[in-house]
This record gives sequence, C-alpha cells and structure tokens, in this order.
Amino acid sequence: MKRRIAWAAGAVALVLLVLVPWIATPTLIQFGISMLLLATLAQGWNIIGGYTGYACFGNSVFYGLGSYGTAIAMVQWNLPFGVGLAFGAVLAVVFAFLLGLPVLRLRGHYFAIATLALAEVMTAIISNLDIAGRNIGLVLPLLKGDTLFYELSLGLLVLATLTVLWISRSRFGYGLIAIRESEDAAAVMGVNTTLHKVLAFALAAFFSALAGGIHAYWITFIDPESAFDITLNVKMIIMAVFGGPGSILGPVIGAFLLSAISEVLSTQVSTVASLFFGLVIVVAVIFMPRGLADVARRFKQYGLRYFGENVKAHRL
Amino acid sequence: MMPILEVRGLSKLFEGLVAVNELSFEVGEGEILGLIGPNGAGKTTVISLISGTLKPSEGELLFQGRPIDQLPAYRRAHLGIGRTFQIMKPFPGLSVLDNVAVGALFGTGGGQRKLNKARDDARHWLDFVDLGHRADQRADDLGGPDRKRLELAKALALKPKLLLLDEVMAGLNHAEIDEVVDVIKKVRASGIAILVIEHVMRAIQSLSDRLLVLHHGQMIAAGVPDQVLNDPQVVEAYLGRRRA
Amino acid sequence: MDLLLQILANGILLGGLYALMALGLALVWGVLNIVNLAHGALIMLGAYVCYYLFALLGIDPFAALPLAMLTLFCFGYLLQRYVLNLIIRAPMFNTLLITFGIEVVLTYLAQLFFSADFRTINPSYAGANYTLFGITLPLVRVLAFIIALTLTFALWLFLARARLGRAIRACAQNLVAARLYGVEPRHIYALTFGLGAALAGAAGDLYGVASQINPYIGGPLTAKSFAISIIGGLENPLGVVVGGLFLGIVESLTAAYIGPTYTDVASFGILVLVLIFKPTGLLGRTA
Repeated sequence: MKRRIAWAAGAVALVLLVLVPWIATPTLIQFGISMLLLATLAQGWNIIGGYTGYACFGNSVFYGLGSYGTAIAMVQWNLPFGVGLAFGAVLAVVFAFLLGLPVLRLRGHYFAIATLALAEVMTAIISNLDIAGRNIGLVLPLLKGDTLFYELSLGLLVLATLTVLWISRSRFGYGLIAIRESEDAAAVMGVNTTLHKVLAFALAAFFSALAGGIHAYWITFIDPESAFDITLNVKMIIMAVFGGPGSILGPVIGAFLLSAISEVLSTQVSTVASLFFGLVIVVAVIFMPRGLADVARRFKQYGLRYFGENVKAHRL
Repeated sequence: MMPILEVRGLSKLFEGLVAVNELSFEVGEGEILGLIGPNGAGKTTVISLISGTLKPSEGELLFQGRPIDQLPAYRRAHLGIGRTFQIMKPFPGLSVLDNVAVGALFGTGGGQRKLNKARDDARHWLDFVDLGHRADQRADDLGGPDRKRLELAKALALKPKLLLLDEVMAGLNHAEIDEVVDVIKKVRASGIAILVIEHVMRAIQSLSDRLLVLHHGQMIAAGVPDQVLNDPQVVEAYLGRRRA
Repeated sequence: MDLLLQILANGILLGGLYALMALGLALVWGVLNIVNLAHGALIMLGAYVCYYLFALLGIDPFAALPLAMLTLFCFGYLLQRYVLNLIIRAPMFNTLLITFGIEVVLTYLAQLFFSADFRTINPSYAGANYTLFGITLPLVRVLAFIIALTLTFALWLFLARARLGRAIRACAQNLVAARLYGVEPRHIYALTFGLGAALAGAAGDLYGVASQINPYIGGPLTAKSFAISIIGGLENPLGVVVGGLFLGIVESLTAAYIGPTYTDVASFGILVLVLIFKPTGLLGRTA
C-alpha cells in the first residue's frame, strides 16, 4: 500500500515537472534546466561513486567531451543536434573505456586524484586544438525557446534515474555494490571486477556527455574553461553525497535542494551562494556524512541523536 | 580418480621473503585436507594463491586437470573454487541475505541471473549454516561467531567444488567449534572437497582425512593425522605451543 | 646550449618553490591521512598576509615570512583542532569533501575582504638579477629557492630528530600505541596540520613575490601540489624536492620547446602516467 502511494506521488510529481514550461516564469524554467542537468550529473556520478564506491573526480571530462562533441559536429560538420549528441556520447564512452581500464586499477584517493588529473589534462589539451576553437571556443547555432531544452533535460534525468533503479535490482548492480563493500571478497566470489567497474564508468560517462551536449546547445557557446569546468565535479559529488549516494532518488533530491537554496540565496544576497555551499558541505560532512537518504532511514530510530552519533563515531 | 586440485612446485616470493617454497600436494575429490603449521608458515598465502587473490612466482596449479595459475580470481570462482577470509570480509552495508546472494549470483558456472532466485538460494545456505533467523540484519551488526557463519555461507553460495577454509574457528568456544565441525562435515557429505587451515588441533584432527604441515613455506610432513601429529619434526616446529 | 642552461636554471628555481608548496600538503597527507583540498587556499592566504604587511606596514616580504608562517600556523591549528578532528576517523573520502567545502569558504571570504583584483608584492629589489655563467637568475627567485630548500630540510630534520617530530611520526604509525606513551593525539594532529599550514603560508609569501595573486589561485595550486607530492612519492620526505624539481624542469622545458599553453598538459599528463605505472612515486619503492 505504501509503495502504491509512493509510485502515485512520483507520477504526479513527474507530470507537474513536465508541465513546468507552461506554468512557470522564463527565469524559473532556466533555473529548472540547470538544476535538471546537474541532477543528471549527480545521478551519473552515483553509478560510479555511489554504487561502485569509486569516487570519481573526472566526470567533467565526459561532460566536456559531450559538449565539444556536439558543438564540433554541429559547427564544423553541420550535422543536426541529435547526431551531435550521439557523437558526443560515443566519444565519451570510448574515452571511458580507454581511460577506465588503466585508471580503475587504482584504489581510493589515488583513483580520485588520477581522475582529477585527467580532468586537468583534457582542459589543457582541448584549449590547444584548432577544431575545438582553441581557447576561444565555439559558438553553436541558436535555437529559440527553452521548452525543448527543458523537456530534454527532464527526459535525460528520468532516463538516468530509471537506469539507477535498474542497477539497484539487477545482478550487475549487485556486482557493483559488492565491489564497493569489499573488492577482494567480490573478486573471489566470482565478480568480474574490471568489467563491472569499466561499465559503471562508461554509464556515468554516457549520462555526463548527454548532459554536456544539451547544455552546450542551450547556452550556444562553449570554451574549455566552462565545458570542462572542474568545479562541476565537486558540485555533482556534493549533491549526490548530500542526498545519499547509493540510493535511487538521493542525488536528485540533493541536487534539487542544494540548487534551489543556492539560487534563492544568490538572488537575495548575491555571491553569498558560494559561502552557503561551502558551509553546507562542511556541516553535512560532519553531521550527516551518509546523506539525506540515510537520515530519512535512521531518524525514526534515533531522532536527533543521529547527528551526534555520527560525530562521536568519527572524531578523534 | 583424478584429484580435484594439484599443486606442483608452488612458490611465492615477496620482495626477498620466500613465503611459499616449492610446495607440491593434491586434494582428492570429496576429501578434507587439513593444512597446519606455526604462525607465519605461509598457510593463508597458499590459499590466496589457489583462490587467485595472489599470483604465484613459480609453479603450477591444476583444478580438475585444468591449469588455473594465470586465471583471475573471479574465473576461478566460476570454475568452482570458493574461499573464506581469515580476516573476514563481509559486505558491511548489505543485509546478511544479500551478502550471500552475491555468491549465488556470481558463483560456479557464472551463477544465477535472476536476483529473486539468488535470494532464494541464499536463504537455503543461511539455513544450512544456521543463520536464517538473521537474514535481514545488516552484516556489520553480527557478532563474531555469526560472522564466521556468514563467511561460510557466502562461500557455499558459490556452489563450489573445492572449498578453502581459512581459520573459521579462531576465537570460538568449545560448543561453537563443535557446531562448525558439524557444518563442515555436512558440506563434505554433499561432495565438496575441502582444504582447511586451522590452529584448533582437536577440530582438525577429527575433520581431516589427511594433514599437511607447513613450516617456513615448506611442507615438512604429510599423511594421516595420527601419524603426522606424532612426527618429531612437527612437534619440534610447534615446540612451545599448547595442543587444544 | 646557453638557452638550454637558462631554461634548466629557470626550471630548477621554479622547482624549489614548487617543492615548498607541496611540502605542507605531503606532510598532512602522509601523517594525518588528510587529503587537503584547501591547501591552495592556505597558500593564497599566506600570500595575502604578506601582501598586506608589505602594502600597509612596509614590511619586507622576506622579513614577513615568519609572521606569515605564524599566522597560518595558528589558523591551521584551530581548523584541525575544532573542525577536522571531528571527521578524522571517517572514510578518507570525507576529508576530500570537507576540505573542499573549506576551500570554497576561504576563497569566498578572500574575495569578499580582499577583492578579486590581481596583486603583487613588489619590493624595490624585485627586478634585480644575478648573472652566472651567462645565465640570468632573478634575485627573488634565488632567495625563494634557498628558503624553500632550507625549510624542507628543516622539516625533515624536525621529523627525524626533534621529540615533537617523532611524536608526530608515532601518531602517524600507530595512534593507540602513541596514546599509551602519553602523546595527546588531538593536540599533535592540530600541531601537524598547523605546521602544514605554516609551510603553505611560507610558500604563499614567496609565490606572492614571484607572481600575481588573487583569491582564486588556490585551486590550481592545490592541483599542482598534488602532482608534485605524488610524482615525488609520499613515503620519503625528500620526495617533494624531487617532485618539485622534476615538475619545475619539465614545465620549463615544455614552455620553451612546445609552448607555454602546454605546461598543464605536461604536468598533469605525467601525473596520470605516474599514477598508472608507479603510484608510489619516483622515489617510492614499487608497490
């Protein structure tokens, strides 16, 4: 019974979200597009970071490849948007396989740093390529009207979330979770860890690239700094972790909440949004390191003691 | 009858330390082979080499006649080799049931495809080791003896043909040891060959068909328990140890 | 040939500064297991401390060095004692997140109080040069190089010989045992982080003389410090020197022979290669 209510509520929410372009102001719609794309990035990260336990700081690489793939296809080769998107996605997935194989052999923070380094390298390489417009970037054809972009972004987020839902109930997903919980045990229990990790990485790349492609066409302009924006990495991680990594809706809720509050603050008190973000991160990591999803799960049992327990468990 | 596992000239070097030195032995089908020796003799290393967690420096491993020394760990699991870890490695965030379900999903022959079926299998194995009543608890909420049971159930869920047990009785009291011995006998009765590392002497004496004694990575004695445990070399290697 | 020597000299001088930059990060990482994404922000703060001491009080940046170190030491101590100590026993990933949050806060506050304008510290001798064997050596860079190496060596000596230094190393290796010997970990940890911050402050001071500063230099400097620490290897305290010099020379050569826009490709490309083929770094033993 409870599940039926949950599904019904979800369906209603989805319908409302779809209708937003017809009932909201243009600024709100724009905000919505940004938020939906960030949520998609957070979900993509959730697959490799949340479920597989490999904290990747390099999804911005795939976002950027998606952006540039789409842009180059449309600007240099005059291909339609759909083809551009597909090209960007394929590019990102190929990179994920090529880079994933060596880099996924690293564990823990070494993996995190390697992906961060890859992100830096990509930015530097792209700014030296002529076809990508070097440091100046590329200007894409203009498409008026945000409705299409909004619905596309929403559709992408739904697709990403459904993928995560499938992962949580499939043999593949159990393999990922086993790797996260104990990679050595997973290996001797028959999980092909290399294959699983690379596939998870490729899935994250796929969604990041599509988000990048949509964003590029929407903004109509990209350059290496913005397309391969390194701070995107931490934003998507914060949102996923704040909402609850390894859960289905956690990253989405984290993205929605953090974006919304950040937006409200920045209209009220200009740049204080950054400060807010930073403080939220610090406080959240101290008091609710496993995210909102875990708070929701345990609050019934522990109440406010939950937060104190977290501190006690982790402090020196 | 072909032995299920053949080890020939197995050696493992770690940066100048010879952990295992030209070891050769066999495990017969349906046999329980006990592996004993003082601490640091290399017993866990041998298990890690067989299960694929470590790669050998030299030597051959044949499982059901097939060479496996170059196969990665997960392939060996698919062939039917299961192991427990001395320092237990449960999946802490998962329920006890799901811990075992992973084994059912990825075990011998590639395991189950369907999650539901795997969970049903997992329940069966939990009952086998008498842990069924804790199926829905989180794995890291379990106490010591229950963790051992879980470790065993996870390995069994692979439906292995060869089970490698690494000190499953450490830290248990007499009654718990007897329970585990019974479970291991049940496992052997179902046709699975077992290689057991143990320090609890009376348990390994009653379980093993044969015993192998390791000291400084080398085999110093092999044979039936009574004979081996009275071997003066073995006694000397254990000098100062109490026999439980 | 002369050109090559000049390039190498530039690289070596740069490398000394790089080594100092990475030193604080490597110390905190190796001893406390904290991956400090706010390290660059600490360097940035050190630079601003010296800038204001120079601009408002006329204090020479090299004389201000101890002051900058002291200020950052206190700040680092408090930060560790009352914030970071709260999550020390959590998974290491959490230290990444929390230090990132701190970085964001520090950058924002810097931008609020110092404005986003570019600044330099320009003592009167800023343009002076030595000439040696036909190579031009800027005075400030030579001084920076000497100070950097001195501090690095001093740290190494401190950790090896001084009682406090050994207490720090003891905590790093075995916290429980250290406690049994009467070492108070909360204090030691805070001291260590403070020390790392002080070194960052020193690096910031020297950086401010050698280059321009603004509130946003933290991020790239953190990334570079990571590269240096890993390339050199965390096991050996002299690793940062090797890493710093190596990276300094590589960047100098890349800028001259391939192009200045490729220096990041070279640095981070090498980092990726090191991580893949020899994660323990150039000085580390093979894993």
